[in-house]
Amino acid sequence: MGRARVTHPSAGLRRVLPFLLVLAVFGCGESDRAGESRADDPSRGAADQRPVEIVDATGRTVLLDGPATRILSLVPSATLTLRAIGASDRLVGRTDYDDEPWASGLPSVGGGLEPNLEAIVTLRPDLVVRFAGSQDRRTPQRLDDLGIPHVAVRPDGIADVLETVRMLGQATGRRAEADSLATAIRSDLARLEARVAPLPRKSVAYVLGGTPPWVAGPGTYIHELVTLVGGDNVFADLDALYAPVSPEEVRSRRIEVVLASGVEAFDRSLAPEARIEIVDEGLEIPGPDLAISAHRLAELLHGPLPPVPPDAESPGP
Amino acid sequence: MNRWVLGAGLLLATVVSVLLGVRLGSVPLTTAQVLEALRGGGDPVVRDIVVQLRLPRVLLGVLVGGGLAIAGATFQALLRNPLAEPYILGISGGASVGAVLVLAFGWMAAGSWALPLAAFAGALLAIVLVFRVATATGRAMDVRVLLLAGVVVAAFFSACIAFILSISPARTVQSAVLWIMGSLAGATWRGVLLTAAYTTPAAVLLIGLARPLNLLSIGEETAHHLGADVEKVKRTSLVVAALITASGVAVAGVIGFVGLVVPHAVRLLIGSDHRALLPLSFLAGAAFLTLADLAARLALSPTEIPIGVITAFIGVPFFLVLLRRSIAA
Amino acid sequence: MRLRAERVVVRYPGSSVPALDDVSMDVPPGSLYAVLGPNGSGKSSLMRALLGLRRIEGRVLIDERPVGSWDRRELARAVGAVTQSESISFPLTTRELVAMGRYPYLGPLEREGEDDRAAIERALTACDLVGLAGRDVTTLSGGEFQRARLARALAQEPRALVLDEPTASLDVGHEMTILELLRSSADSGMTVLLITHGLDMAARFADRMLLLSRGRVAAEGSPAEVVREETLRAVYGWPLAVHQDPTTGAPRVTPLGSR
Repeated sequence: MGRARVTHPSAGLRRVLPFLLVLAVFGCGESDRAGESRADDPSRGAADQRPVEIVDATGRTVLLDGPATRILSLVPSATLTLRAIGASDRLVGRTDYDDEPWASGLPSVGGGLEPNLEAIVTLRPDLVVRFAGSQDRRTPQRLDDLGIPHVAVRPDGIADVLETVRMLGQATGRRAEADSLATAIRSDLARLEARVAPLPRKSVAYVLGGTPPWVAGPGTYIHELVTLVGGDNVFADLDALYAPVSPEEVRSRRIEVVLASGVEAFDRSLAPEARIEIVDEGLEIPGPDLAISAHRLAELLHGPLPPVPPDAESPGP
Repeated sequence: MNRWVLGAGLLLATVVSVLLGVRLGSVPLTTAQVLEALRGGGDPVVRDIVVQLRLPRVLLGVLVGGGLAIAGATFQALLRNPLAEPYILGISGGASVGAVLVLAFGWMAAGSWALPLAAFAGALLAIVLVFRVATATGRAMDVRVLLLAGVVVAAFFSACIAFILSISPARTVQSAVLWIMGSLAGATWRGVLLTAAYTTPAAVLLIGLARPLNLLSIGEETAHHLGADVEKVKRTSLVVAALITASGVAVAGVIGFVGLVVPHAVRLLIGSDHRALLPLSFLAGAAFLTLADLAARLALSPTEIPIGVITAFIGVPFFLVLLRRSIAA
Repeated sequence: MRLRAERVVVRYPGSSVPALDDVSMDVPPGSLYAVLGPNGSGKSSLMRALLGLRRIEGRVLIDERPVGSWDRRELARAVGAVTQSESISFPLTTRELVAMGRYPYLGPLEREGEDDRAAIERALTACDLVGLAGRDVTTLSGGEFQRARLARALAQEPRALVLDEPTASLDVGHEMTILELLRSSADSGMTVLLITHGLDMAARFADRMLLLSRGRVAAEGSPAEVVREETLRAVYGWPLAVHQDPTTGAPRVTPLGSR
């Protein structure tokens, strides 16, 4: 198990020095012991044993002795990302929300927020991937106490997904695979944008249900996705991410397509002229397959898409 | 204050609240548009907004607000306790369990009536449970036992809800919390007619029991010596008030403060004679909830604030002012 | 109106000893009848039995009819009861409290009529409460509140009054006011049954007395017959001396020291 040096952007040198001293004394011995578990790791190959410095989604800098080989991901989209870059064999555990068949053999630590710490310790991870944000302050603190390195990801939008891909590629030493995944996502999205560009834009509302109905506003991933695939969110004037709106607002705005999350989400009398499409709530969560989701969304809005125009091959920023 | 003056004022306030609630909303409409919609003409979108969305909503506000207030006043008299309010017998807990079960198991696919029906069933369960416990001794119903049973049943239902939500996905939890917070946004004409069909005769019946409730609020022995049929009045008014509450919670979720604060505010103005307290509480509750709903719709338009927040924010300071004035007097 | 109890037995569930055992009592109309006894001797049970609140063995006759045969409201029009205490949780004026005495005469939403208002006024006047009529009852003193409760009973225009320790926590002035009022009511033809602790006051104002001990009748008769040293010592378990009061002529009781 590699030891980690952790520095916060605002931490003073005083905090770092003791760790430096301790590492100088113990660090050498540690890497010999850890070498055993790494030697039989097939994904390592001719891997990079140099220390890895990661800046996570909260701006925290985490230093790993080497690429992570025993990973616990508390964030389902990060789990999927690890699979997409070929590092899923390094996973030692999962959450209750990772319901993919290939993950079913892994032991679960409970929920992604407030997971079972005893279960985590038992798994001896050398990297824990957790949610950025303040809903669960206890877990990062306890992980620090236990000396288990952790990085935070923010699964909120397209840029976040690409950042997570890059970061996990770095953490696992599979940078090449991560880069190619990121490039693939970007170029898929660019191609999609090009294909929908000639089509008329559709006015869209994304409704999550409830009375009064909750809708997706600007700043949500859904809004980003919808806009990318040629839709105009009629609730782009909201201040918030998701907010409850008066039913009469839904009725009065011209909506061509209502994306209803879940079967019972939407009272059709509120938009009698709109086409109601029921979508899976998984659509709201960005992950490495977002290009596929975007494509599906585009077809929901526009129907079958026209072929790719010949000059649309350049990947986005 | 003269009770007739207050009555006229509250009736006027209720009418004005209804008119404002139809005229105003998060979508700006002109008076001409609203009138045209009420006549049956104009843009179908405007018509839908005015006739299918706003009008049932304000009428439901009148019924639920009035119902909660008159039920609250009745419970306060029955239990001889100024802190009593409609949810004190665990009714809100039972209704919430019913609603949460529907949300957790996705039974709403069966129809939009599934949720209010389940909530009403849950409320009934709470009423029956509490009733059975309070009359278990086979003798007269002891209101202290009733109160205690209500508190315990409410706590039990809270635990049930917490358990169900702890094993439910985030989406269910969110839906459940939103339902429990209460809202008039789901008002339909069918819901309004059903609620009116129950609430109106129930309110009339309670007002008819005003004199014995006056006596009961002093004490059961005294009431008996003055010729009241104590057991019958207790059971009847309890059941009727509980069912008004249940029907309100089923359609609108758990809206707090109305049942507690409104009767007290009216009492501070015209005293405890239930012949005036009950009908005036109804009117005051009706006007209060309708205006609160309007505020919920307008304050952060197009977003809606949960109505329970408004009832608390308005209700508490208003009540404190009245209380201070009455102490000074 | 005559009140009679014939061989009344009252049992409470869970208790092997009856609260009242074979108690008989005859309260003639137009008299003030006092019921006394140590704590737990069954005085309040007697009142409850008299008013039909408890299932009993034996008979209670109100105006020669069994109490169970009276309609509730009819009984409330005939008998005014003042229990030991009551507490008010909500704002209520004195007049509103007294007006409740008219309940047995009014329909569900019927408004008070001339007769009702007159009865209320008479009751307020008799109890010297006219100046306090508009006050909230929670602001009344103990004595004023008791007078208000008595006024409520009087507003019922009953033919009999049954009172359970109406002067228990009152000072001597207020106690005398109420007892004099009860005395004059009795003199005007009202049947007054008074449950009390006060031996001296009872002996002074009552026409007849009933002394209970452990649920049974220990003595019954005129004050002179009942207030006797040996009787009282046996019932109260305390050495007591009885003298004739020089001012009132009534028997007066003096508790002696324990030594």
